[in-house]
Amino acid sequence: MTDADRIPDTPLFDRPRSNAGYALNKMAMGLSTADGRAAFIADEDAYLDRFALTPEQRAAVKSRDWAEMVRLGGNLFYILKISAVDPTPIREIGAAQAGMELQEFLDTRLGKVTNG
Amino acid sequence: MAKLLAGLGTSHVPSIAAALDKGLRDSDEWKPFFDGYIPAQKWVADHKPDIAVVIYNDHGNSFFLDRVPTLALGVADTYRPADEGWGPRSVPDFQGADDFSWHLADRMVEGHFDPLICRELDVDHGLQVPMELTFGRPDAWPVKVVPILVNTIQYPIPTPQRMWDLGRLLRRAIESYPTDEKVLVMGTGGLSHQLQGARAGFINPTADREWIARIGSDPERYRTMSREDYVEEFGSEGAELIMWLVMRGCMDETVTTLYDHYFAPASMTGAGMVLLENAR
Repeated sequence: MTDADRIPDTPLFDRPRSNAGYALNKMAMGLSTADGRAAFIADEDAYLDRFALTPEQRAAVKSRDWAEMVRLGGNLFYILKISAVDPTPIREIGAAQAGMELQEFLDTRLGKVTNG
Repeated sequence: MAKLLAGLGTSHVPSIAAALDKGLRDSDEWKPFFDGYIPAQKWVADHKPDIAVVIYNDHGNSFFLDRVPTLALGVADTYRPADEGWGPRSVPDFQGADDFSWHLADRMVEGHFDPLICRELDVDHGLQVPMELTFGRPDAWPVKVVPILVNTIQYPIPTPQRMWDLGRLLRRAIESYPTDEKVLVMGTGGLSHQLQGARAGFINPTADREWIARIGSDPERYRTMSREDYVEEFGSEGAELIMWLVMRGCMDETVTTLYDHYFAPASMTGAGMVLLENAR
């Protein structure tokens, strides 16, 4: 892709983002096992210590700041696994990235629907 | 020789699986979506395919970013449901058409496609959901499967033309396979959706409906569109639609659209299907 950021507000997961987010995404990938999820739930800080997160990435994870995680190289398919241990509906994650309240997001982006 | 029975294009949204797991199949919200698949389900059940080739992308469940195969091909005799963070879903294991998979591996490499060959592979909602939308929730799946996985997450993703060409090759592989089995080819993903960035929640029902209407009768535009155009028109994850081109490229130039269905939004995604048959 020669012009990856041509489309506004659309961070394509290219080499710079994959490089920047590698440790963050690897941390999240660890939650795809029962052991990883148990470790995260038991002691989130100790679990995060296993991965070479930047201080910014660590803060974004701790505060469940989805837009910031994506800005720092997180890819939804990986960081979504955080929502499996700390339940957050996908549409709330979408709304947070869009910078909207959930209802406004549903109304303006998805056409006022309720399908989960 | 084996026979191409039909081509099915369908969404594989994980919320569809969640709706089924929560018993919401017949809820007001979901019933119109699921009911739209019934005529195609009946057609497939009546025509009894033996093998389903399912083209999908793994969503960071079986592959991580340490190794990103642009194309991967399952050659296992069994595929288990992947743990996507909530534990593996309780759907039956998928029996693999391993002999056909190896035949396809030969044809692919001879035809200058070089997939990662996967002997052990857990399959995520990208394969599970199309199977459930086509065959319901049986105790055992009525077809053997061949998973073909396409990287649509980390750029560079393959081009639409490459997907089309893979479809052409898949057709030759099916018709050079020395059994009388019937093969259903399933191109999956989409339709419009975007999960990442400030444009999250973008859907484009107008473009989706045009895709559903034209993928059978007039696919040329979609074959020649750039990847960036896909992202712009269908959203960052809507670019998964390139995988439908494997299915379409597998078929004759002239096809009959037997059934189609569109519903938006399923969770955050424009969702739908087409069932195509080569014109007689």
